[in-house]
Amino acid sequence: MKRSIPALTAGALVLALAACSSGGDTGDEPTDAGSGAEEGGGFEGQTLTVWIMEGTNPDASGYFDGVAEEFTARTGAELDVQFQPWDGAHDKFVTSIAGGTGPDVAEVGTTWTAEFAELGVLADLTASIEGAGLDGDLVEGLAEAGTYDGALYGMPWYAGVRSIIYNRDLFEAAGITETPTNWEELTAAVEALKASDPNVIPFPIPGDSQYSAYPFIWGAGGEIATESDGTWTATLDSPESIEGLEYYTGLALEHGASTAAADTWNEADALAAFEQGNVGMIIAGNWTVGRIAQDAPDLMESIGAFPIPSRDGGPAGSFLGGSHLGVWADSDQQDLGWEFIELMSTGQSAADWSEQTGFFPGQASALAEIAESEDPLVAPFAQQMLEAGRSVPLTPAFGQIQGAKTVEAMVQNILTGRMGVEEAAAEAVTAMNETFSAGS
Amino acid sequence: MTTSTARVAPIVPRGPAPDARRRRAARRRAVRPWVLLAPTLAVLAVLLLWPLVRVVDLSFQDFGLRELVSGEANYIGWENYAAILGDSYLWTVVLPNTVGFAACCVVLTVGLGTLVALFLNILGTFWKTVCSTAIMVAWAVPAVTGTYVWIWLFDPLNGLVASVLAGLGIIEPGTVNWYTDRLGFYAIATLNVVHHGFPFVAITVLAGLLTVPKELYEAATMDGAGAWRRFWQITAPMLKPVFAVVTILSTIWDFKVFTQIYLMPGGNGGNAEVFNLGVWSYIQSFAQGKYGMGSAIAVLLTGILLVITVVYMRTLFREEDL
Repeated sequence: MKRSIPALTAGALVLALAACSSGGDTGDEPTDAGSGAEEGGGFEGQTLTVWIMEGTNPDASGYFDGVAEEFTARTGAELDVQFQPWDGAHDKFVTSIAGGTGPDVAEVGTTWTAEFAELGVLADLTASIEGAGLDGDLVEGLAEAGTYDGALYGMPWYAGVRSIIYNRDLFEAAGITETPTNWEELTAAVEALKASDPNVIPFPIPGDSQYSAYPFIWGAGGEIATESDGTWTATLDSPESIEGLEYYTGLALEHGASTAAADTWNEADALAAFEQGNVGMIIAGNWTVGRIAQDAPDLMESIGAFPIPSRDGGPAGSFLGGSHLGVWADSDQQDLGWEFIELMSTGQSAADWSEQTGFFPGQASALAEIAESEDPLVAPFAQQMLEAGRSVPLTPAFGQIQGAKTVEAMVQNILTGRMGVEEAAAEAVTAMNETFSAGS
Repeated sequence: MTTSTARVAPIVPRGPAPDARRRRAARRRAVRPWVLLAPTLAVLAVLLLWPLVRVVDLSFQDFGLRELVSGEANYIGWENYAAILGDSYLWTVVLPNTVGFAACCVVLTVGLGTLVALFLNILGTFWKTVCSTAIMVAWAVPAVTGTYVWIWLFDPLNGLVASVLAGLGIIEPGTVNWYTDRLGFYAIATLNVVHHGFPFVAITVLAGLLTVPKELYEAATMDGAGAWRRFWQITAPMLKPVFAVVTILSTIWDFKVFTQIYLMPGGNGGNAEVFNLGVWSYIQSFAQGKYGMGSAIAVLLTGILLVITVVYMRTLFREEDL
């Protein structure tokens, strides 16, 4: 039996890999231990470890060099910024939580804040935010997502929203003069694009993107899930949600808006296809404009944006995503952590950040300024965000549902013809309710 | 007894009876390998045994993020196993996917690998080197890279396969998406895994072929045996242990394929029809935070592999001494 030993070893390795979470933690530990008593509000000799997501700002290190200087000038402490890739970030956070190797302050995706707050990982920032007089000036959707059990655990930092980016050349070639403002006009635009050139993909419906589907559910008056007395119930099978899903997938199945290839696309795939120039329009975030400018500068001349329309006109609800800044509950530099958060989320640092990244600021007054903008690639997004920014169900259980890709699976099942809309929705509702009832 | 022999040890030459000396020498011989193995075993225990024990331990718990953070245990007995085994999803989707896919891959990998080895064996030194280097490249490509190459080849809109088929007028590009279909998905995954796995089989079998005495083939040829007969009467029996090893290793690798499935469109959760045991375990654990359930699936996977390996080894070597 000797020969089978390497084989068994290999088999056991699977388990080993499944067991140890992929830690790979190279980050430094907070190094403030034994730094002695603070002197008069100064934090000399201390170091604040911060985790920031990679890729949001093309020149992140340049930006944070400036912030670090400012931070040291203000507090006397050093700043240690470590960049984390979004990919697998949730796993990494969880691993660090379990191992006690977290940072002092971290950028937290808005959909994770409630989950981490519930676990007791994040510190309650309500008093600090009120103390700094910032509580009246937060972007509502972001503040809502950062709230757990009545307290704020995430300081709104930046926000983004999805609208529709379109190819003006293709629209002109198809004779479309006005951007669609309701479903009827959207369908007409799709059909005109299809008719003008059969090689054009008018409006790909990406099967692997939940956030592209929600605006149509919300735009028909439907909801993902509703809460009563602390219990969440999935409502994707309500008549309104079904109508939204039928319209959304019907664009692909009945009006030729999409391609079978898009059944497995995510938003990045749709964007890549759009950048090739023969896609009429896509649902895309305001931050992707900068991406297009980088990838396909020639296309920049001919792109425009308009809010995702709801059934009867006006912007449809669109997921308001973004990031919070949170202080780790077991960090012993709570005050210093807050100093950093205040520096980042207000004033010049915040303005620079949103200018460099294309995201909207988390302060309502700063956002209002941007909303005044005449820029045709900013204004439609600002309108969508201010008039119709929505959040997904604010319960940790929804994080699990997103992890299971329940909504994406539903959309794919409809697009590939495996299931009818009602059957697919019913299946998703069952799965979601199971998670809701187990989670609470 | 032990203490007394140990005490008189220093005066070995004139020491105890030859009988006792032999026994002591035998004991030393028995202990020595374990002493030499100790460092390796200690490392294995830390890196392999402990995680293994932990996974089994977790599989009996309802272990989520909350438990992970607090570090508390939450035992629920066999509930995870009951939930998995009672789930029709396991029997209709995951298990058929895993077993069917592994079976196809093993047969194709070993078959193709053997053919390539036989081919390499008849080549001259120069071409043998060139060809083995070429196939080693396929082996050296990391699974992630290889998988993306196959995904791009079969990209429904811009992929090479779609373009060629469209050029031949068989399909319209963009109208067919192989990834959404369970069979299509696994056909592509099979190509990927076989392509990545056959070089190992080829090189191993080639090494075995070089040890078979040429005289046997010459004699068989004289007796009028054709190539087919020579393979089954000489090569196959001579290389039985080699085939056993490559088959078992391939079986284990192909059962626990994860990367190649997870990275393909739909394999990371969007299309539950294409999960295999490895992906299902990962999704349960890390996407859903049900670490207990995920561990139970991993234990199940290991159990199946153990059974297959043992049964296979027993049938293969029933009458032989290993």
